[in-house]
Amino acid sequence: MKYPEIDRYASIRSPIHQFDPRAKIITFMALIFSFVFVNELSLALLGLAIALLILIISRMPLDFALQRIKWVFLFLFPLLIIMPLTVEGRQLFDLYGIPVTYEGTVYASLIIIRAMAAVTLALTMLGTTRFDVTIKSLYMLKIPGSLIQMLMFTYRYIFVIIDEFGRMHRALRSKGFEPMTNRHGLSIVGNMIGMLIIKSYDRSERVYQSMIAKGYTGNPRNLMELRLHAKDYLISMCLISIAIMFHTYHLVLP
Amino acid sequence: MKEAITVTDLNYSYPDGTTALNDVNIVAYEGEKIGIVGPNGAGKTTLFLHLNGTIKCPDSSIRIFGQDIGNMALKERIRKVGIMFQEPDDQLFMPTIFDDVAFGPLNMGLDKNEVQRRVKDTLQRVGLEGFEDRVPHNLSYGQKKRAALAAVLSMEPDILILDEPTANLDPKSRADLMQIINRLNREGVTTIIATHDVNALPELADRIYVLNQEIIAEGSPREIFSDWQLLKRNNLEAPDVFKLFKVLSCFGYNCNELPLSLDESVNELIQTIGNSEDHIHLHMHEHTHNAVKEVMDSYNHHRMNNSD
Repeated sequence: MKYPEIDRYASIRSPIHQFDPRAKIITFMALIFSFVFVNELSLALLGLAIALLILIISRMPLDFALQRIKWVFLFLFPLLIIMPLTVEGRQLFDLYGIPVTYEGTVYASLIIIRAMAAVTLALTMLGTTRFDVTIKSLYMLKIPGSLIQMLMFTYRYIFVIIDEFGRMHRALRSKGFEPMTNRHGLSIVGNMIGMLIIKSYDRSERVYQSMIAKGYTGNPRNLMELRLHAKDYLISMCLISIAIMFHTYHLVLP
Repeated sequence: MKEAITVTDLNYSYPDGTTALNDVNIVAYEGEKIGIVGPNGAGKTTLFLHLNGTIKCPDSSIRIFGQDIGNMALKERIRKVGIMFQEPDDQLFMPTIFDDVAFGPLNMGLDKNEVQRRVKDTLQRVGLEGFEDRVPHNLSYGQKKRAALAAVLSMEPDILILDEPTANLDPKSRADLMQIINRLNREGVTTIIATHDVNALPELADRIYVLNQEIIAEGSPREIFSDWQLLKRNNLEAPDVFKLFKVLSCFGYNCNELPLSLDESVNELIQTIGNSEDHIHLHMHEHTHNAVKEVMDSYNHHRMNNSD
């Protein structure tokens, strides 16, 4: 079974991997917020370039990263078709009587490029740290526990649900079911998803019981100890200055 | 002997009103091995959820070493009673095996060194040394089951409750797990085990309760398995070896006590043959066929029909 492990390459060595996980989270969040709030296409492209550069420095296999970034692009791509046709502005050319606008194209590209930059950064952040270390770092950063636990359980049980789905799918196939897009096929798939939701609900009950049985009170404790080094401060300061420069350069430059 | 767990007149109904447990009375003495058998849906898991206070019981029916579980502090409760549930994926909910095994001890408020010592010890005890940084979804079912046990053992409970510990395991994993459980029991841990695995029961239990919403019977494995009507009424079965020796006795084989496990049967055979000048005599009479048929009918009551 192929699992979508986000931290599959967390054990390789690179400056990004060795960056303190707490500093990494804060720095990358600063970069993400900075890049998604830029309003100029050229700046957004520069942001994407920086994000890609960090990805390359992290030495994560590019196909692994692109596989994941691809989905975000596919999800947002329709904007590039719809927005040029719907946003009003300067007409670029005429498509069978419908005007294609310059503003629409720019806005759509801006949204897509900013999103891709953010996703590339988030992926680099999560992909270069073991998932459990990310979770523990979030606790150390005093992020509300319920948010962290939601993230943690979602990630943990994705794998269980994938297995469950795989078993149901094999059971269907072994009884001669062929996936079809007609009414019957879709209703079977619908039933399957419904069953998965019910099973997950039952499972959540059992997981909670087993947590209670081990004395869960909602205040998890953490044993991990991390120490910030001079290089962590240095990397953090450089990257956060870049994040700030993106929004203040016009004050400095003539 | 000290009573480790005392259940008196426990009643429980599910939220929709169906009765799950009806006047259940159970006593487990310190260091005992208790088996709980019963058909699917007999309320075994529900009973277990009461035994460590996961389901709150309003009328102090449950006492742990004489103390009402309702009045016990959480930390005290999980130190006294550890439960391993059936499905390991439900019990390994943390990102790594280390975090899962450390979960209980951390909730007990132990200091860092003690937690680390316990994780190391318990992982070694269940044969998973070096699995600290592994993630649960990359483990085999048998490994997950052992990790789930480690996550309970790390709390070093006085009473260990196991729900179907041997279900779905391959023979090696099953034997390993049974060995671990028996070793713990020898070290003084009171064990309570629910299982359908009748061939494992004689090894895992000195005393058996038959539960089907209420306590139907109580006794030694031999007493319970000898009562085929009781087994039939409650969808239960006797160990294969036990049935085989029951058949052998129809052929004139004489033994004082029917063996319940393979080991016992080997000893039994050696002893019987040794006592009768190094051979045993089996024979067939007219009535033998009927006697064998009677035994087969009484112990093979779960066949769908008798035509095949």
